[in-house]
Amino acid sequence: MPKRVVQKTFRAPSKKKETRPKKVEVKPKAIEGSRIGVFVCQCGSNIASVVDVEDLTGYAKTLPNVVYAENMNYPCSRQGQDNMIAAIKKNKLDRVVVAGCSPRLYEPTFQRCVSQADLNPWLFEMANIREFASYPHQNAPKKATEKAKDTVRMAVAKARLLEPLKPIELPITKKVMVIGGGISGINAALDLADMGFRVYVVEKTETIGGYMALLDKTFPTLDCSICIEGPKMVDVGRHPNIEIISFADVLKVDGHVGNFKVKIRKNPRYVIAKNCTGCGECKDACPIEYPNYADMYLGVRKAISVPYDQAVPLIYTINRDYCIECFKCVDACGAREAINFDQKPEEIEINVGAIILSIGYDMYNPADLEWTGYTKFDNVFTALEFERLILAAGPTNGKVVRASDGQKPHSIAFIQCVGSRDINRYEYCSSFCCMYTLKHAVMLKEKYKDAIEVYVFYNDMRSNFKGYEEFYNRAQKSGVKFIRVKLENRRIAQDDQTKNLTVYGETEDGKPVSANVEMVVLANAAIPANTAPELAKILNIPLNKDGFFVECQPKIRPTDTDMPGIFLAGACQGLKDIPYSVAQGSAAAAQAATVLGKPNWIVEPLVAKVDEDTCSGCRVCESACAYHAINVEKVGDKQLAKVTEGLCRGCGICSSACPMDAITMPNYSDRQIVAQIGAVLQKEEKA
Amino acid sequence: MPLKTIKKDTAEALTLEWVLHVKDYKLTLDKNRCVGCQICALACPKEAIRTEEQLKFSGEKARKARVDIDLAKCNFCGICDVLCPYGAINVALDGKHILSVVEKESFPQLVRDIQVDTSKCSGSCMETEEACPLDLIKVSWFTPDGKTVENVSSTEGLKPKIEVQKEYCPCCRVCEIKGLEGVMRVRKFLYGKIGIHPEKCPEGCRDCLDVCPITGALYLSDEDKKVYPDERFCVYCGACKLVCPVDEALELKRTKIVHTPVRSGAWNKALERLTSPVGVSKELKTKGSLRARESVKKRLDLKGEQYA
Repeated sequence: MPKRVVQKTFRAPSKKKETRPKKVEVKPKAIEGSRIGVFVCQCGSNIASVVDVEDLTGYAKTLPNVVYAENMNYPCSRQGQDNMIAAIKKNKLDRVVVAGCSPRLYEPTFQRCVSQADLNPWLFEMANIREFASYPHQNAPKKATEKAKDTVRMAVAKARLLEPLKPIELPITKKVMVIGGGISGINAALDLADMGFRVYVVEKTETIGGYMALLDKTFPTLDCSICIEGPKMVDVGRHPNIEIISFADVLKVDGHVGNFKVKIRKNPRYVIAKNCTGCGECKDACPIEYPNYADMYLGVRKAISVPYDQAVPLIYTINRDYCIECFKCVDACGAREAINFDQKPEEIEINVGAIILSIGYDMYNPADLEWTGYTKFDNVFTALEFERLILAAGPTNGKVVRASDGQKPHSIAFIQCVGSRDINRYEYCSSFCCMYTLKHAVMLKEKYKDAIEVYVFYNDMRSNFKGYEEFYNRAQKSGVKFIRVKLENRRIAQDDQTKNLTVYGETEDGKPVSANVEMVVLANAAIPANTAPELAKILNIPLNKDGFFVECQPKIRPTDTDMPGIFLAGACQGLKDIPYSVAQGSAAAAQAATVLGKPNWIVEPLVAKVDEDTCSGCRVCESACAYHAINVEKVGDKQLAKVTEGLCRGCGICSSACPMDAITMPNYSDRQIVAQIGAVLQKEEKA
Repeated sequence: MPLKTIKKDTAEALTLEWVLHVKDYKLTLDKNRCVGCQICALACPKEAIRTEEQLKFSGEKARKARVDIDLAKCNFCGICDVLCPYGAINVALDGKHILSVVEKESFPQLVRDIQVDTSKCSGSCMETEEACPLDLIKVSWFTPDGKTVENVSSTEGLKPKIEVQKEYCPCCRVCEIKGLEGVMRVRKFLYGKIGIHPEKCPEGCRDCLDVCPITGALYLSDEDKKVYPDERFCVYCGACKLVCPVDEALELKRTKIVHTPVRSGAWNKALERLTSPVGVSKELKTKGSLRARESVKKRLDLKGEQYA
């Protein structure tokens, strides 16, 4: 059940009552016969130590229609619920009020409990006497009790008018789309495919694999990265339940949980996917080379090529920005006829029941941090560039060499927190840079031993996961020199003759330190993927101030978004290292399965209802709705507002905004809210 | 991370560079050799090359068009290098003049058919050397034992040697026609048609003549003070066309380019831009009939063997 954020206390009733005298007021039919039960919770001492629960219970009994009231400790416990069910049955209660904590926490629990007593779950109301009375007024128990009484009286006033509602059932498309085929998306896709769901993996680049496929080793085990990810990539490519839609962009997502309509543009590869065997003969015939992004532009690839040999799907792509159209590839391809220079972008539409967003991250280009000298000095590299240098299959075949003279450096300095932990750039910690720097340092030390001096200019070394601290120890033992410096006043200078570099820093107590080295590697910040803002708009999921997607609840719902049916996995939710991305991919898959596995998607019936006779089709509601859940459509010869029940979050903004008063919120009707207000004012009148 | 690219523009040369960690692509345009013609800009498959007409100040000679190359568009394919009639562009990979388009047979090379017959040399043969408008011919004399003789007064008992810097030669045939008879034999690689309409050609204007690198290809008529072309020498590079101030006063058309055999879409496109769609279809037709002839020949040969 999706938890609705209903801001009961702030929702103002429509003011149009007076101006619309014609509207017939329906007599609250439930008032006469209703039998209301009030259960006051002590919540250990959370409530009972401030609010006089005995007094409150006694007061509740005096309220009209209340036929039963009792106070109990923890009605949310199993024992408490059993007692409640018994009391409901015994006293033939037809409305239930629990005076306790916030409905955000326990409303679903009590609704289940009420329905176990054969009562419609929407004939239940909560009075929050903890957050509204006992917590904020701990020093004024008398007044707190008074306020609790007000709150209960309001709840009872509303409960009298509650109407039984029926949950809305929506059909579910048993398919899922994973946006982004990095390591977390791969895991999400494989898990869901193994559960038997049809999975579409939509990937922006030519191949799935993400950044992990570009890495040399993984810490702290120093496993070959592509060797452990490659088989998973192949599994995705071969799985009968998975379809990879690569080199494609998500253009539009309509619909709601259970039934999303996704428009995707497949960009032209100029190679016909089903004819391409991946033999690579075209690549050998191609005369043109261009800088390869997968090599961080340190190496080249052909104008018709794949970014790296393990690419999945193994379909070649022609880069028309560089191709001279000599058609040598067409000759080389021959009878396979896989090359088609007339290919156009193709738009397709897929229907899915759930979406997993795993678009990963990008790397910050530190060229605008002048003190680093990046792009100015030949021998200053970023970490990912270094990764491609040290990788055996990389452009230098694993030789770490300088850009200025192609020589192996005898000393290297790693500089941490470049762009990250910097309030002028990216305030957050990039999370995995400390560890990959340790990895690079250990690899260099263990490969070249004393032939290389390795310095690490760090501020805080963060090695706080399984096996990481031990790896830090290994780096220290291997002879890496760790120099702790302040993040301010760091500087790199180049000797123009030798192209050697000097790294300057300042220790915590202000002493200057420096090191002369032949190469510098910057641990540049990881940043939100450049497609994040666009996808945030398309999917209607907010980004936080840093640009990462906002999860529903950071501690206990880290993979959910505020949009039901859309889940987050991997670094797009917040930067994380491989194992956590993998785990979150699987977690998101499990979450998506809870949607896809249901026969129908149940929506709480607290969605806006439009009175078709009153609606004028003015579209005010359309612009008021933050969830695009209400749209004006032509029905017959009339323009009418229609509510997409799967998208409506029951916030009531449209209802307040409607100038015709044509929209009602079930169980938050004007009548019910006026009754609550009346209940509060009633006491004031007395006083 | 960003690709390191460099563009340097000096009075001597325009240099474009991709500095990759493992490879270094460099394009150099030698401004002394560049005559500001149309060829490279037309030939470039990425439309990275632009020719900019230079302002002419009154009383000064017309200046050749300036060639500019867009670093963002250039892919260092070397097609401009292959086609430059004056050899002014050099594309190098790691400092070596290796052109992948030629190696992979994606693009042909120009055929510079230059034959030298030193037996026809008489006197000092300096006429031949001096005839070349681009100073590409060097005549030297040797003693029978291989020593170079400086300041030749008599060629008695000496052997002539003529060196031609072929890679820079636009094959204008001036040496053949104006030099000593029979010493040089040059076939053009660019064919075409050039015409100047006297009625449109403004009197006293000699802009085309000023920029033409081939002495004699254009001349000023003594009669009407207008410029006329001499098709014997014109190489149809189009440097004149770019500076001509009057529309349609100067008409220039390329019809054929002599090149090594190739089967390439890139070449067909370059040919189309440099000549005309007609030029391409003519070449394709020739190729087609050549292929048909070859296959007939092959068949006949086979029969011949069978019946032998």
